[in-house]
Amino acid sequence: MSDIPIIQIKNLTKIFGDGVEIKALDGVDLYIKRGEFMSIIGPSGSGKSTLLNQIGILDTPTSGTILLNGVDVTKMSDKERSRTRNKELGFIFQYHHLLPDFDALENVMIPLLISGVKSSQARKVARKVLDEVGLGDRMKHRPNQLSGGQNQRVAIARALVNKPSIVIGDEPTGNLDSKSSDSIYELLRKLNREHEQTFILVTHDEQMAAKTDRVIRLVDGKVVEDLRDGASVREI
Amino acid sequence: MFELDVATRHIRSRRRQTLFSIIAVALAVGIIIVFMSMMSGYMSILIDSTIENQAHITVMPKEDEDYIHLYHGLEKHIYGQEGVEALSSYFLGEAALQHEHDAEGVLLYGINPNDENRVVNREKDMLTGEFTSLENPGSRIILGYTLAKNLDVEMGDTVTAQIPGAEPADFTITGIFQTGTPVDGTLGFTNLERLQDFYGAGDVVTGMGIRVSDAYAADTMANKIDRETGYDAVSWIEQNAEILNLLETSEGMVYFFYIIIFSISGFGIANILIMIVMEKVGEIGMLMAMGMSRRSIMLIFLLEAGILGMAGVIVGCVLGYGASLAIASITIPVPPEMYFGMDHLPVEIELKNFISASIFAMVINILAGVFPARRASKMDPVEAIYSV
Ligand SMILES: Nc1ncnc2c1ncn2[C@@H]1O[C@H](COP(=O)(O)OP(=O)(O)O)[C@@H](O)[C@H]1O
Ligand SMILES: [Mg+2]
Repeated sequence: MSDIPIIQIKNLTKIFGDGVEIKALDGVDLYIKRGEFMSIIGPSGSGKSTLLNQIGILDTPTSGTILLNGVDVTKMSDKERSRTRNKELGFIFQYHHLLPDFDALENVMIPLLISGVKSSQARKVARKVLDEVGLGDRMKHRPNQLSGGQNQRVAIARALVNKPSIVIGDEPTGNLDSKSSDSIYELLRKLNREHEQTFILVTHDEQMAAKTDRVIRLVDGKVVEDLRDGASVREI
Repeated sequence: MFELDVATRHIRSRRRQTLFSIIAVALAVGIIIVFMSMMSGYMSILIDSTIENQAHITVMPKEDEDYIHLYHGLEKHIYGQEGVEALSSYFLGEAALQHEHDAEGVLLYGINPNDENRVVNREKDMLTGEFTSLENPGSRIILGYTLAKNLDVEMGDTVTAQIPGAEPADFTITGIFQTGTPVDGTLGFTNLERLQDFYGAGDVVTGMGIRVSDAYAADTMANKIDRETGYDAVSWIEQNAEILNLLETSEGMVYFFYIIIFSISGFGIANILIMIVMEKVGEIGMLMAMGMSRRSIMLIFLLEAGILGMAGVIVGCVLGYGASLAIASITIPVPPEMYFGMDHLPVEIELKNFISASIFAMVINILAGVFPARRASKMDPVEAIYSV
């Protein structure tokens, strides 16, 4: 079971535009193991976000397949995609996208409420996760009453609350100063160790990427480098 | 329900705009309720006064005949019908009335006052004298108020009636009536037998008035009498068809007016929702990423339209009720001929008006929410999330 890759990407291509065509992903092959803590780097416009959104089933590929836990997500209906995102995936973006009219605790409860968990139960679980990200004393604060780093921690708690098997982060520290960035990184690292969830982080910060277990470099929609602990994983 | 929670928070986060759109809906609903109440008031006053002051059914001679000859038999037949409450046979003729130097062309209406009072309560219109003074077949006459003024006569005076080919006859004035309608200047009541005699027509009548228990079924009854007797029976509905039709077409125009008013308030709701959707693009994208279905996204904004609309409708109903009461309580000096003798505007507060205004408003408000809600639900989550 655990030796089956949690994510299998085969010959994935994504072309944007109907007039001028842009090949954002060009035949990407990628296997990711359960519990891996990895980063995707590459120049701006190289297709990092596009790849991440494919893994997050937020978008559909032009060709190729993506298997999550052995299931081909490219063949799913809109409803199944929503359900899979809710159960199996946690999202962290550069902007936290917290709901401004809900406090921290309520924001963290949302994925649970969407999946149909009772409000009282959701509150209990969300409280625990908020504690875990170090915001146990800020539960009643709304996003506009919290700092950028604190909001990003709330967003992380929200991404984790449904116990997804995969957490994806698109430049999760892109909006933060380096001190907050480091502490967010440490938090993600700690969570990865404790929960054995797969973390895939897009970043333009090479130093931060170097601290992850595996680094994939994209250029022009192609994987040009795949290093685990500094050693090449495969021939490209 | 999570969707409802999101919807209420969106609304609460925009207090001022929310308030404005609720006020817009409330004003629309309130205005329309007042309008409907006044329409209902006018309509029912008009109908009531028609039903009160007119025979529900009038039976007239057969075609090419001037009189109903064997009217006693016809009376019996009609009395035998279920729902007939009263019947008054009359003889109607034209004549000139003269008093000293004044003369007026009039309609003389010969009746049995007790029968007539049961078909149309004439007693209540009497300014002086009693309608029943015409009970015995003497030469007595009751004149309309305007007619009496034009002839410059008072109670107890004598007027002379003239028709071609007959001896003039004197009538003593035993009463003056006022209905507030033009008949006050043209009509005189006399005893039926006396008038038959005056016209030398024998024991015949020119028509019958009938009162039925259900005025709204007068049409059916009139048709039945018509069919069974061959006499020409006409209901008040048929007689007033033109006015009633006019009211109905104007009601159609009023609905057009309602749609315009409600549309304006509906635009208010659509406007605030479009603004919320635009402001919440990132939030919508994130909700989708977290697995919220497109249906739920749509539901959030439809609920917002529903909540705003509902609040507006409730406030509007209260407003409309208050305003209707206020208008009903205002006394205004209007000439009695114009408003059927009323001294205030007719307002009828009817539950059905509140219900139809509310349903009408809710339908338009929800429709106003459909466009923004669809737009939100059709968003591409990737574009939405990265649009910020
Ligand atoms: N919705 C889109 N429509 C058209 N082109 C797009 C769209 N999204 C991304 N692209 C293009 O695809 C390429 C890869 O984009 P992206 O994955 O966002 O790059 P990165 O995240 O590595 O900066 C870029 O050239 C970008 O302009
Ligand atoms: Mg990007």
